[in-house]
Amino acid sequence: MDGKKKILVVDDSKTALFMVTTILKKEPYELVTACDGQQALEVAAAEKPDLILMDVIMPRKTGFEACRELKGREDTKSIPVILVTTRGEGENVEKGWQSGCNDYVTKPINAQELLAKVRNIIAG
Amino acid sequence: MKTSQKDPGAYVRRVQEGASSLAQDLIAEIERLQVLVAALEAEKQRHEAEQARLQAQLESIRSESQTFSARYAQVELQNSNLANLYVAGYRLHGTLDRAEVIAAIQEIIANLVGSEEAGLFALDAATQTLRLEASFGLDPEAARGLTLDSGPIGRAARTGEIYVVEGGKPAESGALLDRLTACIPLTLEGKVTGVIALFRLLPQKAAIEDLDRELFELLATQAAAALYCTSLHAKHAAGPAAR
Repeated sequence: MDGKKKILVVDDSKTALFMVTTILKKEPYELVTACDGQQALEVAAAEKPDLILMDVIMPRKTGFEACRELKGREDTKSIPVILVTTRGEGENVEKGWQSGCNDYVTKPINAQELLAKVRNIIAG
Repeated sequence: MKTSQKDPGAYVRRVQEGASSLAQDLIAEIERLQVLVAALEAEKQRHEAEQARLQAQLESIRSESQTFSARYAQVELQNSNLANLYVAGYRLHGTLDRAEVIAAIQEIIANLVGSEEAGLFALDAATQTLRLEASFGLDPEAARGLTLDSGPIGRAARTGEIYVVEGGKPAESGALLDRLTACIPLTLEGKVTGVIALFRLLPQKAAIEDLDRELFELLATQAAAALYCTSLHAKHAAGPAAR
């Protein structure tokens, strides 16, 4: 155990998943991944990450649904969630807040913005 | 009878001597103080000079710090730009499956460029037409039957030059070609094999940026090569009869 903070990255797009992990890999974090909302719930329960970065539009379970479930479960409700959304308009952002997310970033992902938000929450 | 009354002259002399002694002491004290003031003045000047030197040094450090901060931000930006190009290249060449390469192109456009409408056209050299091979976010019917005379898409196929709409941001609505943002000719050994056309950008994406243009350059050559490799692989996998 090296005390690294663990981040769960969830996206059904291999490119987006690869992009986010490439950005975060150079930081002192341990990364785990999931490719849809349902798998995110399972991995979150098993791995107890310090932060979840999750896409919104995904098969099986959307990011909104998965976030709502995570926040409703005793063992995962305290894990901060950053939603990654393609649609950055007010309505979608509002849906994100309603699902209980702690923050959100929009695509295309800006590495500096993402790192700043991750560092901010991890330092929390 | 008091002495002064006995000898008033002696009394005056004593007073004069006392006054003279006091005056000399005062002069000596003034001289000592003048020396002290001069020393303090010199000390003050030394301190002022030191303060000015430190102030200049602080300014220089501040300026250097600002330069380093700006440089750091620039390096961070370059890093993230390189990460984008690396991810795009890796995804394009990470498979020999054509559908996977097309999915990678779509994901690069959606996730790295930030467009929600795009079409991949294959150039049919014999008929000089552009066949829509894949698309997302747009009505495929509206993108069929394009020829090399069909506006910027046809021009990109004809000339092999990347097209980006003026100002980098197209109209939000209107006919498909009115929403055209960019055309990326896919080139292999100097020959155009197809075109990627990007239409509407995501609402939060202000316009096409420098990094996007670099991604377009990468897509122009690497997507063409990746697609060609999938064709070669498919022929190879099908056996000698198919070659």
